Amino acid sequence: WDLLGLEIDMNRKKDKGFETPLFLNVLTCYVMFIPHTTHQVVCINNINFQRKSVIGFVELTIFPTVVNLNRIKLNSKQCRIYRVRVNDLEAPFIYNDPTLEVCHHESKQRNLNYFSSAYTAAVSAVDPDAGHGELVIKVPSELWKQGDEMNVLKVYIEFSLDQPKGGLHFVVPDVEGSMAERGAHVFSFGYQNSTRFWFPCVDSYSELCTWKLEFTVDASMVAVSCGDLVETVYTHDMRKKTFHYVLPIPTAASNISLSVGPFEILVEPYMHEVTHFCLPQLLPLLKHSMSYLHEIFEFYEEILTCRYPYSCFKTVFVDEAYVQVSSYASMSIFSTNLLHSAMIIDQTPLTRQCLAQALAQQFFGCFISRMSWADEWVLKGISGYIYGLYLKKTFGVNQYRHWIKEELDKMVEYELKMGGVLLHPTFGGGKDKDNPTPHLHFSIKHPHTLSWKYYKMFQCKAHLVMRLIENRISMEFMLQVFNKLLSLASTASSQKYQSHMWSQMLVSTHSFLKSISNVSGKDIGPLIKQWVDQSAVVKFFGSFAFNRKRNVLELEIRQDYTSSGTQKYVGPIKVTVQELDGSFNHTLQIEENSLKHDIPCHSKSRRNKKKKIPLMNGEEVDMDLSAMDADSPLLWIRIDPDMSILRKVEFEQADFMWQYQLRYERDVVAQEESILALEKFPTPASRLALTDILEQDQCFYKVRQGACFCLAKIANSMMSTWTGPPAMKSLFTRMFCCKSCPNIVKTNTFISFQSYFLQKTMPVAMAQLRDIQNLCPKDVLNFILDLIKYNDNRKNKFSDNYYRAELIDALTNSLTPAISISNEVRTVDNLNGDVRLILEEITRSLNMEKLLPSYRNTITVSCLRAIRMLQKNGHIPSDPSLFKSYAEYGHFVDVRVAALEAVVDYTRGMHRTSPSEVSRTHPIPYVVHKILSMLGKNPPFTKAAESPLCNEALVDQLWKLMNSGTSHDWRLRCDAVNLYYTLFGLTRPSCLPLPELGLVLNLKEKKAVLNPTIKPEQGPDTTEMTVSSVSMSSGVAPPPQGLKRKLDSVVGPLGSSSPEPGQVLQEEDTSKKFKIRVRISSEDEIDMESPHDSQAFIHHHLNILERPSTPGQHPVKHPALIILLSDNLEPPAVDQAVLSLPVTPLPSSFGKESTSSSKHSGDHHHHHHHHEHKKKKKKKHKHKHKHKHESKDKERDSHAFSNSPASGRSARSPSMSD
Amino acid sequence: MADPAVMAGGFSAIVGRSGCGKATSSPAENYQLARRRTLQVVVSSLLTECGFESAEKATVESLTEMIQSCFNVDTLPGYAKRSQRMVITAPPVTNAPVIPKALIAGQKRTHPSHIPSHFPEFPDPHTYIKTPTFREPVSDYQVVREKAASQRRDVERALTRFMAKTGETQSLFKDDVTAFPLIAERPSSIPYLSALLPSELELQTLEETDSSEQDDQTDSENTPVNNLNDDPGADKENSVLLAGSVVPLVKVSEESMIDNPYLRPVKKPKVRRKK
Repeated sequence: WDLLGLEIDMNRKKDKGFETPLFLNVLTCYVMFIPHTTHQVVCINNINFQRKSVIGFVELTIFPTVVNLNRIKLNSKQCRIYRVRVNDLEAPFIYNDPTLEVCHHESKQRNLNYFSSAYTAAVSAVDPDAGHGELVIKVPSELWKQGDEMNVLKVYIEFSLDQPKGGLHFVVPDVEGSMAERGAHVFSFGYQNSTRFWFPCVDSYSELCTWKLEFTVDASMVAVSCGDLVETVYTHDMRKKTFHYVLPIPTAASNISLSVGPFEILVEPYMHEVTHFCLPQLLPLLKHSMSYLHEIFEFYEEILTCRYPYSCFKTVFVDEAYVQVSSYASMSIFSTNLLHSAMIIDQTPLTRQCLAQALAQQFFGCFISRMSWADEWVLKGISGYIYGLYLKKTFGVNQYRHWIKEELDKMVEYELKMGGVLLHPTFGGGKDKDNPTPHLHFSIKHPHTLSWKYYKMFQCKAHLVMRLIENRISMEFMLQVFNKLLSLASTASSQKYQSHMWSQMLVSTHSFLKSISNVSGKDIGPLIKQWVDQSAVVKFFGSFAFNRKRNVLELEIRQDYTSSGTQKYVGPIKVTVQELDGSFNHTLQIEENSLKHDIPCHSKSRRNKKKKIPLMNGEEVDMDLSAMDADSPLLWIRIDPDMSILRKVEFEQADFMWQYQLRYERDVVAQEESILALEKFPTPASRLALTDILEQDQCFYKVRQGACFCLAKIANSMMSTWTGPPAMKSLFTRMFCCKSCPNIVKTNTFISFQSYFLQKTMPVAMAQLRDIQNLCPKDVLNFILDLIKYNDNRKNKFSDNYYRAELIDALTNSLTPAISISNEVRTVDNLNGDVRLILEEITRSLNMEKLLPSYRNTITVSCLRAIRMLQKNGHIPSDPSLFKSYAEYGHFVDVRVAALEAVVDYTRGMHRTSPSEVSRTHPIPYVVHKILSMLGKNPPFTKAAESPLCNEALVDQLWKLMNSGTSHDWRLRCDAVNLYYTLFGLTRPSCLPLPELGLVLNLKEKKAVLNPTIKPEQGPDTTEMTVSSVSMSSGVAPPPQGLKRKLDSVVGPLGSSSPEPGQVLQEEDTSKKFKIRVRISSEDEIDMESPHDSQAFIHHHLNILERPSTPGQHPVKHPALIILLSDNLEPPAVDQAVLSLPVTPLPSSFGKESTSSSKHSGDHHHHHHHHEHKKKKKKKHKHKHKHKHESKDKERDSHAFSNSPASGRSARSPSMSD
Repeated sequence: MADPAVMAGGFSAIVGRSGCGKATSSPAENYQLARRRTLQVVVSSLLTECGFESAEKATVESLTEMIQSCFNVDTLPGYAKRSQRMVITAPPVTNAPVIPKALIAGQKRTHPSHIPSHFPEFPDPHTYIKTPTFREPVSDYQVVREKAASQRRDVERALTRFMAKTGETQSLFKDDVTAFPLIAERPSSIPYLSALLPSELELQTLEETDSSEQDDQTDSENTPVNNLNDDPGADKENSVLLAGSVVPLVKVSEESMIDNPYLRPVKKPKVRRKK
């Protein structure tokens, strides 16, 4: 509340219009004034692809629910607002977005705790669910009286967007021709409620209204939006046409979307109300990819016994999509990369799954919306759950169970690592102190403050919990509940506006649970309490002993509920015991203090007569029982086989039991568990069990794939005793090679997909085999090379691109570190013979790809990974330039991401990286998101370790990025927060000078007082840097402290021979240190002399994000210069930097840019909000502009808008003080 | 006696040859030459009669000249019938060297009508008819595969090397930039097209393996192409009109069945709307 108050307080101060009364109003508004929007018109009458700008207006029909409504708050970001009129009267307004800059200028805090709370406060301050917004409109006093009569208000807002960074994404390929020929298109995007980025609205999922949408676009383009297309009309000059949409079903603004482009149109042949849109030339792919959509429709309509709620459905496939699938009311936007031809195997199920997800979200998420953020889990849960049912029906039970296990494992792993995921947070009276998730470094109070990964796990958990509910109340009841929700909603949707009727279309946790208890009559309270109201998972450890005398199985189940992310479980648990006489289920009660459970066995131990053994599914099989313990009738035991607890089970049983389980248990989950367990038992028996599974056609292909990798691991552990050919070789030969010539693989047909997947996986797993020298056996390498050589796809109707890519992956897997002497330079001549062969294959494949590109460039992706691996293992010189060129805009997105991954990996090795220009001119939200998340996943350093990269400049960069640089994209900001957390932790980064030690940077006067305790360290450090910069002639910038400490510790042992380690010794040892350093760098890939370059990489990426996307105006900034210009702290170090600078060519214009980005001067020419806040700080200055944001924009673009009537009016707009 | 005979034969041979050589010049000359030749033979035989074994060429020539100049034809018959005359035996009939008859294999082709008959005949058929010879075809599967594989590899290698040599490259090594050259990547303005659309080669394969699906594909491919080609050629004004006409085109076939708002014709603006 303090922060919120402060926020508003400041607004008030700078705007004379808002005096004290308003401050109170704002607060009371929160409680009382929540007007309802009943209808909204959005009209976009100009979309300029050249300028990437949009002009339009909105008109909201607002039904005041209180008398004397005098202020209306709306959400709007990025938009430039020209005028606001309420019932045809000009209305004054203010625009303030606290999320633009979270912590105010030059807060020295730099700790994440501080940031997180400030960010949460900022998001809360504009939270539409609480009646807040960035745009506050003062209702003209003439209309106040009308409030008594409760007349509707019409709020008319003219706005424009110029080069939006969020909300709308323009894709304008740089080729000749008109925009339509170039395939230019634009689409809306965002994470959660992000509609405010492209038009003013109440950007909440709970604020429903009807819509009229009008888009005027070039005649060669199509505008696809929500609702029914009523008509398309030419403009008078016939150059443009206007698409008129009407959406009579009450819909939240957050579910409104738009995409405009020269789309090709495909009407679904089975359902004419469904229309598909794709970019030019892709129609054949669209036809094929959409050919099964009607089946998904049929499936959902059947299980939900409810018709698809909208009168039409549109799918649009766009380039540079934000996510693969995003659903909006009656339309979904997909990534164009989901489209595929009939030749592609691997993409087919993935695309179908995406379609099924999109469609499930149409019912739950779009048509039925949520009451509040805390109810999000219900929608995500239901849509995920019915999607799971679709998976089960289409891809089979095995696939379904495999998927459930995968999701469960993923989620459990995340929760154990990061702490719990809470589905239904409740906040005690909005106080921040009652944080339900103190373990997280972000707040879960708003979707916009969540880490992306957390949100993914949240969705995962939501559908798993739905499945738990299904287990409890049965699927029938479950579907009845869904049907009830849908039919209530559709009844409500057809009603005219009544204040509470439409709320039936919103689902809340409460209403959902009530439905469940009404329908099923069962109390699922404990379940909800355990998994929904509480975070964390359960961690079981199980072991057993067989008591022969009592013929009883003594099972011990322990729990770990003290470590992070775990909770205590009390309740029933199912245990399945497979005995000689059959399979028996037991339900045990996990209670407070009981660890041991006695389970009576049904069968006596080994009888001599051979009898078939009945399995759980009724099947009876012959088993070779010789491996089992003669005294025990137990074949295997499973704890919670149905995954009806969100748990991780670590169970101990003998190796032969795992082997029996693998061979004879028919549940894929059991098989996968036993494969995992067998890794720890490298014995011939395990080998045999795995080989048998590999050979079994009936076995689920994913289990067999898993068995391949397990077998490789076992073979490596059994290296000394392994007999026969390398693991899987003879098997592969038997299955996939010609009978007459076993060294040659059959020509591809890929008729059986199961064998196809196995054929792809086996070589990859085999390549993990190692011999005694820890090298990949020559046999195996030659075998893989032969597979590549003899691969013949001429007679195949399927493409083999994925197969070939995996063969390259196999080559990558076969690589082992090069044996080389110290710091030897990698040259062609000293290339190992095998590596030469591998490299030849890789270069040839990569080159062929240029001539005959493969689907989604899978082969290029694999080749890039292979090259990085060659570099990493020291076979070829480590050099990121290749990857950087592939990471440039203009490559297929998969290739870019793979290349960026390599560059990120390179940064981790702390190699020299010169500033990359990746995605500088065309920041694609998805790619930038990927960069940040990959940096987070594979960080150049972490909070635990010292690193030379960890320095003040980096902290500043990253801080700036999350503070103000990513205000246009919630996801990106959270990514930046995540990265900051990974690198520095929650507290103030250690590399920053401690505030209390008094390193005071007086920014205003550009004076720095250096803490005397730091100074002495600079001497030796600088010397070292001299050495290194001379040796590699690339070292620049003063060394961070981390480096110094690390070196000292290395030097330690050497210096210990001297009785008095001290200054003198250090100086003597300078040359020795250098030698030592070389040794380190060869072993650990740490080039001490170059950290600042890889830092540059990070910096650069951060910089990219902060700047407007105008191409060609970004001089490359060199981090050394930032330091040089901004921190005049260490004169000797600076000298060094200056000396070594000319080595790397620098753009001539760096000076200005560096200065601007240095913290001294604040980059006012890029970020108007900085400017704004700066002004705020100087409270004494009186500002005459009412609308800071706007006036700033006007200054910048006055030439562009001076002749527009809107600008004139805006300037004349009545003052707030009247 | 053999010698003179040889000599005489030799003469005749020489004379005959020279005569032959000039035979083409004129009949009078021919006569002269023949006469002179005869005289030479006569002189030679006279000399032989007289017991000379050999004579210098110049002598024979002089004697011939003398006989030619003071030769009385009337006395000739008497002289011819003299008693000790020498009868010149006709040169022994040596069988003209037998030119071996060319082996004729098959029927020679007759001239086709456009070749005048005076042209030489066609050679024997076997000289221009190809006679294919077969090596035992390699039926060994392994060898076939091996060959196909290495051929493909060679082609690919040659092609990529060529491309690398003729275009820009990137290198993995700093010391030897020519080793393992990589064709430089080229950013494309619409990268998704090449990454998603099957290459022509792949389409061909598909055609071969599955012809039933093919019809479908060409069908669908034509429409976008039309769409694309219509627009670029036209300038703004035309494209407006064309775009208007393209939409009906798409739907013409399906209009009767499908009612989809995106296929409906675009309406003309109403005049009223403006005001």
